[in-house]
Amino acid sequence: MATVDNVRVLTPRSRGRMSDVWRFRDLYRTLVARDLAVKYHSSVLGFVWTLLNPLLMLAVLTAVFTHVIRVPIEHYWAFLLSGYFVWNCAQQCLSSATYVLHQHASLRRSASFPSEILLLSAATAKHFEFAIEIGITLVALVIFHHKGVPGSLLVLPVLFALQFFLVVGLMSPIAVLSVLFRDVQHALPLVILALFYVSPVFYSTDLVPESIRGLYMLNPFAGLLSLYHAVLFEGRFPSAGLLGWVAIFALSSYGVGYAIFRRFKSLCVEVA
Amino acid sequence: MLPLVECRNVGKEFRYPAQATSLREWFIRTVRRRPVRRLAPTFRLSAFDLTVGRGSTVALIGANGSGKSTVLRLIAGIYIPSEGEIRTRGRIAAVVELGMGLHPELTGSENIHLYGTILGMSRSETRARFSEIVDFAGIGDFIHVPLKYYSSGMLSRLAFSIAMATDPDILLLDEALAVGDQAFRERCNERIAERLNGGAAVILVSHDLDVVRRHASEVIWLEAGRIRMRGEANEVVDAYLASVSGAEPVADPDATSSAPGPQREYLAGA
Repeated sequence: MATVDNVRVLTPRSRGRMSDVWRFRDLYRTLVARDLAVKYHSSVLGFVWTLLNPLLMLAVLTAVFTHVIRVPIEHYWAFLLSGYFVWNCAQQCLSSATYVLHQHASLRRSASFPSEILLLSAATAKHFEFAIEIGITLVALVIFHHKGVPGSLLVLPVLFALQFFLVVGLMSPIAVLSVLFRDVQHALPLVILALFYVSPVFYSTDLVPESIRGLYMLNPFAGLLSLYHAVLFEGRFPSAGLLGWVAIFALSSYGVGYAIFRRFKSLCVEVA
Repeated sequence: MLPLVECRNVGKEFRYPAQATSLREWFIRTVRRRPVRRLAPTFRLSAFDLTVGRGSTVALIGANGSGKSTVLRLIAGIYIPSEGEIRTRGRIAAVVELGMGLHPELTGSENIHLYGTILGMSRSETRARFSEIVDFAGIGDFIHVPLKYYSSGMLSRLAFSIAMATDPDILLLDEALAVGDQAFRERCNERIAERLNGGAAVILVSHDLDVVRRHASEVIWLEAGRIRMRGEANEVVDAYLASVSGAEPVADPDATSSAPGPQREYLAGA
């Protein structure tokens, strides 16, 4: 006889236990592996697309901003490289939040598991690709830009973690809202496009007029990208003030986003 | 001994959003002073009580839309109840959704690994049971083919085999979704009987009233989200049949599926 130990009590106030996410860690791993596998399942070049796609964009952006519109930054390719993949990863995560719950609607109607795993695994798969991209960036920067290994790279894991918390925190309310209102699917690409221009992806924060710098830095991606620029491009340790601000923003967005998600996730199962 | 499933005064309310109100529609209705219809029909399951002990089978019967699947999904933990309390002990496997959310682009074997972990098996456990699942489903070499090329019978056989491989303590089964062939159904019935002897419990939604009579220790007849009658199988089934045939000559599909036939098992046709 199977040992029966997992007692579950469901009441109207049930939100699932935090520990459930840990209990389903094998599911999380399987989903991450699947996301990576499915993406290029029947394409000939497969995983190469992960790199080819952003590299092509990088080439175009570098060409445009060094030869047509001249952005006054030395070693522009290195500058672009240290921020572009961050933006690319964040942007893909945010858009995936609009469809991840729809995509798994049938799964969620047939088995009980914490839906936050769907968000976490989608974000993790994207960050896995990001880690490879940043690895290649590192090699390129160390060999051709710094011609040495700057000590500031030690901060990189911290930035990586902050980015993950920030992105997942923003994904949670987007995921819930896009189940309840399809409008989000139409609105988000616009928001992302606007964010691209008001974030220091193809220009640096220094080029933003001093008078509106304070307002500008309210955009969490401005802070995050500035950190990456300092660490990767300039090879210096970022200021504690900036690091603190991004950390506070990332962790609180994670906290708030997760709370919203837990509050509404059961409703999403019924609607989607 | 403690029961495996206890539902106390469980209620569940669904409000279906009326056709999504667009801003334009809202504007037109406001101008014409016709208020926006906020909520469309509501489905409510109410005052549902149930206790299922080890080794017993409970069947839910009733017309389409009476709340049978809702009950299964509540017990499975897929829906959160609006009132009351549901207590379950042990591992639950539910066959309540066609195809069970298996992924069409992935191969059979990839789906086994994915779905095994969704039902709460560990990765190593899933690997250990892999060949058993494939054998039980009887899909042979198709295991390396994406699911979108499967026949619907193969699909449901695979889904069911994964669910059974978790050795569930509580098996929630919607009979209408089991569309395997004769041989497969016989294998399933054997397996279900084994689990029951081992102390598991089965909650069955079936339109095959012969199956219900044969196996259910208790039958609950649901009507529009309420328990119309409950009790010993023959008694409830007879009352249900009488009400169905007395009401309408057209009858609902539930009644016709109970046509007398050869010996039936959990999944009709065995």
